[in-house]
Amino acid sequence: MSTVLAAAAGEMATGEKVVFWILGPIALIGALGMVLARNAVHSALWLVLTMLSLGVFYVMQAGPFIGMVQIIVYTGAIMMLFLFVLMLVGRDASDSLIETLRGQRVAAVALGLGFAGLVCTGVYRALRDTPPAGLEQANENGNVQGIASLLFTKYVFAFEVTSALLITAAVGAMLLAHVERRKEDKRDQAARMRERFAPGNYPGPKAGPGVYATSDSVATPAMLPDGTSADRSISRILPTRELTSSEKTPKGTER
Amino acid sequence: MSDLQLPHINYAALAPMLILFGAACAGILIEAFVPRERRYPVQLGLSLAGVVAAGVAVITQAGTRTITAGGAIAVDGPTVFLQGAILALGLVALLFVGERSLEAGGPFVAQAALIAGSEPDRRQVVRPGATEVYPLMLFAIGGMELFVAANDLLTMFVALEVFSLPLYLMCALARRRRLLSQEAALKYFLLGSYSSGFFLFGIALIYGFAGRVDFAGIHAAALGSDRSNALLYGGLALLSIGLLFKAAAAPFHVWTPDVYQGAPTPVTGFMAACTKVAAFGALLRVLYVAFDRVSWDYRPVLGVVAILTMLVGAVFAVTQTDLKRLLAYSSIANAGYLLVGVLAMSKDGLSSSMFYLVAYGFTVLAAFGTLTLVRDADGEANHLSRWAGLGRRSPVFAAAFTFLLLAFAGIPLTSGFTSKFAVFAAALDDGQTWLVVAGVITSMVLAFPYLRVVVMMWLSEPAESTPTVSIPGVLTSTGLAIGVAATLVLGLVPAPLLDLSTKAAEFVR
Amino acid sequence: MSAGQVALVATLAVPAVGASVVAALPSRADRAARLVGTVAAAVTLVVSAALYRPGDGGWFSFGPNPPAIRPWHDLDVSWASGLDLRFHLGVDGISYPLVVLTALLTLLCCGYTLWHVPDPGRGRLLTALLLAIEVGILGTFLALDLVLFFVFFEVVLLPMYAVIAVWGGPDRRHAARKFVLYTLLGSVLLLVGVFTVVSAAGTGDIVALTAANPLSRGTQLAAFTLLALGLAVKAPLWPLHTWLPDAHTEAPTVGSVILAGVLLKMGTYGLIRVAVGVAPEGARWAAPVVGSLAVAAIIVGSLVCLAQRELKRLIAYSSVGHMGFVMLGIATLTATGLQAALIGNVAHGIITGLLFFLAGAVKDRAHTGLLDDLGGLRERAPGLAGVLGFAAIASLGLPGLAGFWGEAFAVVGSLRRGGPLWSTLAAIAALGGALTAAYFLRLLRRVSHGPASPVVAAMPAGLARPELASWGPLVLLALAVGLVPALVLGMAHDPVQALTEVVNR
Repeated sequence: MSTVLAAAAGEMATGEKVVFWILGPIALIGALGMVLARNAVHSALWLVLTMLSLGVFYVMQAGPFIGMVQIIVYTGAIMMLFLFVLMLVGRDASDSLIETLRGQRVAAVALGLGFAGLVCTGVYRALRDTPPAGLEQANENGNVQGIASLLFTKYVFAFEVTSALLITAAVGAMLLAHVERRKEDKRDQAARMRERFAPGNYPGPKAGPGVYATSDSVATPAMLPDGTSADRSISRILPTRELTSSEKTPKGTER
Repeated sequence: MSDLQLPHINYAALAPMLILFGAACAGILIEAFVPRERRYPVQLGLSLAGVVAAGVAVITQAGTRTITAGGAIAVDGPTVFLQGAILALGLVALLFVGERSLEAGGPFVAQAALIAGSEPDRRQVVRPGATEVYPLMLFAIGGMELFVAANDLLTMFVALEVFSLPLYLMCALARRRRLLSQEAALKYFLLGSYSSGFFLFGIALIYGFAGRVDFAGIHAAALGSDRSNALLYGGLALLSIGLLFKAAAAPFHVWTPDVYQGAPTPVTGFMAACTKVAAFGALLRVLYVAFDRVSWDYRPVLGVVAILTMLVGAVFAVTQTDLKRLLAYSSIANAGYLLVGVLAMSKDGLSSSMFYLVAYGFTVLAAFGTLTLVRDADGEANHLSRWAGLGRRSPVFAAAFTFLLLAFAGIPLTSGFTSKFAVFAAALDDGQTWLVVAGVITSMVLAFPYLRVVVMMWLSEPAESTPTVSIPGVLTSTGLAIGVAATLVLGLVPAPLLDLSTKAAEFVR
Repeated sequence: MSAGQVALVATLAVPAVGASVVAALPSRADRAARLVGTVAAAVTLVVSAALYRPGDGGWFSFGPNPPAIRPWHDLDVSWASGLDLRFHLGVDGISYPLVVLTALLTLLCCGYTLWHVPDPGRGRLLTALLLAIEVGILGTFLALDLVLFFVFFEVVLLPMYAVIAVWGGPDRRHAARKFVLYTLLGSVLLLVGVFTVVSAAGTGDIVALTAANPLSRGTQLAAFTLLALGLAVKAPLWPLHTWLPDAHTEAPTVGSVILAGVLLKMGTYGLIRVAVGVAPEGARWAAPVVGSLAVAAIIVGSLVCLAQRELKRLIAYSSVGHMGFVMLGIATLTATGLQAALIGNVAHGIITGLLFFLAGAVKDRAHTGLLDDLGGLRERAPGLAGVLGFAAIASLGLPGLAGFWGEAFAVVGSLRRGGPLWSTLAAIAALGGALTAAYFLRLLRRVSHGPASPVVAAMPAGLARPELASWGPLVLLALAVGLVPALVLGMAHDPVQALTEVVNR
């Protein structure tokens, strides 16, 4: 740790340079991949890549605490939670790719690149000859202690007020995502049983999809004794999933 | 390791915010523990009480000039004035939010999570609206209070988020036209987070320049720093983008019409009045306290922004056919007039801008309040053509709305005239003639859309489909009465409030 | 607070209160509401007449450098100290005749409305709006603070718009919109001018500005241009007059009377009091332009009148010509010219008010205003034709009637100013005076003489008593001012002298 600190205080060490030039492009690729990936899970994984790279950067820049927080909390906890939710809810990549404003994407890319170029050259020119300063004082009593003392002295009010932000976020998530079941919609065991054995309902287990020598796909329906295929043996969500049409069409067995 | 020197905290100075956040947390607990049917009166009472209590706490701070909580909070004249303004306007907005007699269950949806248009959604039409909006309102008001009091950029950023997040949420909760409302919320959220990103980036650059983020430190560093000025200007530009976005100044205004239209109307009024106060309060503090030494450099740029804002607001308002969108563009134009006052960069500029914020806030709240009254079977009827002949059907209502529109148009003897006069006079005194000329011309352009509405209401024959004007309940009537009375009184006798704002117009550094 | 100050406030407060009371009364008490409005207008007339203080001067007219404006009564209280706005009212010999004229015409209009409400009814609202307009006009004449002047100037706009747009003729929408567009344009220029003066001088007090003249030459030129342009729209000065014929033609009778009688005077009064008083150097600089435009207005107005085929439109265009004389008088910047402008203002208010009343009466009876369809009025309704003839002759400037003095002295003033330009202008203006006679005589020939046309033959003959009551005072005043011009000139002598001293300082 102390070597890193010493290195960061003065000239940029070779090791840091090497790491930067390796991880920098990777972080950038991750960010681009996150935006460009069609699949939400892929997007999330690209983001994880970027965040990990950033975490390493923080550590390299003598901010071990923030680096670790980045890796443990952001990458480890939040992004994984995100992935869980994506997997549970079901991945749906049916984003509309139609441009409502013509030429919007090209303009956005051009302007974005222009803005990035402007900021980068500006910051680069501004900081070219500027030596880094203040790192020793900041990390005088240790990095974590330094952050703690800032959090509990100078920024104590802002720190406390973030709790309002968290409460709001929690309430918002509840508001926008939670559906309360009405009392009359809740069904007890007896009602369910009655429903199950009500006329018109098939109480037994449904047939599973067919397994044949030519196909063991879940999209292959089972065959009834009279030789017709049983549509009920295929999961209802199969046709709605984002599959190619050849995958989606129920497969018969060639005879 | 040395011991921590815990900062001295002046709790009395922080009391307004603490009261509001406390009341908001209590509101969350009420959501959890109080039976559903009793939540509405309890929540409404609690929020009104919280706002009033915070108002009392603000009044006790009159005359305080202090920096507390480790330098994060500055309580001075402008802080107290603007906090008082936000609370007064917020109280009126709460009255509109709490109204439930106009429509079964109030203007908010019962369960926002239900898919719009689905069978359960159709069933919930008559159910009472979500009461979570009251704590959200309190959080938003509290965040605004902090926003105008923040004395460093980091606290300001946290405050920005604290008051923005509840606004994003409340935008999505309209009872009618839910898809429009959700779209508005999403747009506001995405663009809002984007602008927060700019703000944060600006903080980073400023920190690179000054090595500090508190305003006094930036002020000191602007005098002489060994860092390149590019950091300072770049940082200021990015910071301004974040603030001007909230203030709805062109070219960062594109969210305004859609969001104002989609959000539940009481929330729109709240945003138009209180968010504007908060955003301009913060902008004033940033520009007057931290960056006053480079005012010669940014004034032309912000001047162009001001003119663009006035032009965009005025010109696009002319073509609108929806009243909410019309008022949205008018609010954009008003942001331009406020910028004229801000750019006066003098004590007069500060006091007149603060006066303008209060005067405009009351008028716009009352205007959006009246929009909630004109309804047909599908909810509010905001299309201009539907208002034809409304003056025949309900003259009192139409007269009040006409008066508010005249105030927007800046006709003498309304608060619109005195406030515009105040900012223009301040700008002229400071030699910003070009801004004033643009302001006068655009305000005349802007008079036409308002007059068109007036003509529509009074001179057109009522059609079969002319909607009815609902009889407002106690809450809405009170709110409307306050708004209209303030517009009138500030037009006839502006002196007391002007004196107050002049007395308050001194920042602590 | 002295009695005079109370009267000043009451002059504005009475019609304001009256207007709100009338508007607040329920619609079933329509007639009672109109009665209340008429009473308020009458009280206003009494109070405003009581503002008169003969003699003048007082102790402060002496001394080495007497102020140019010496109001008889003066009320100066802070309105919004933060903005340095003052509620400064005052009345002197220049404004007093116009104040009384305004109060009188409003009373006559309210009384007329008591008897006859134009379509679509709702006379109580019309009365309330008339009173609101009166507040604005009186305030404009009484204001001694630039910002206050502008405020009252603006107050008139919307009620007048409503009067035209609701109770007007078939093409009222268009006319009302044109009126608002032009007047708003004028207001913008006026406002910018006011801003220029206030920010350059640091005060909006007209008395102080006229007395001290703190503005630099450049500012004065800019200020005068802006103020004069803004006021010229209202006056109206050719070529900014095009809103006027439409508005006058489409407005209901009472609206036309107020418009022509006193609303236009806000422009000319403002020019004398504000533009010339505050920026005398600018006035000297721009005088030739204003004078030339004024003469152009006289000629153009007369020529257009000669070709007019509609009664109200003809009278409206005649206003352009008459106001041209007033503007010419102002442009000379001599004591004679300013006096001529003042008395021309008053005379035009009386006579044109009367003419519009008469035109309204003719149109109400014959249901047409086309000159081709009228004729032979003298045989069918001799009373009406007689008054019309009197008014037309007064308007064309027959000596002994009110119209003479303004036109004659404007020409005389221009001649006295000397120099080739002003002499030429005087000559052309005199020619315009002759043209005025021509078109009024044409009007009389068409309407009064000849065989009775079918529409005239079908109309009722007699005059209603309310009509007589509303025309009578105007007829008498036209005679009185014509015979004894000192009624107006006497009280205006001192203030005009003081003003010319300032201008030619």
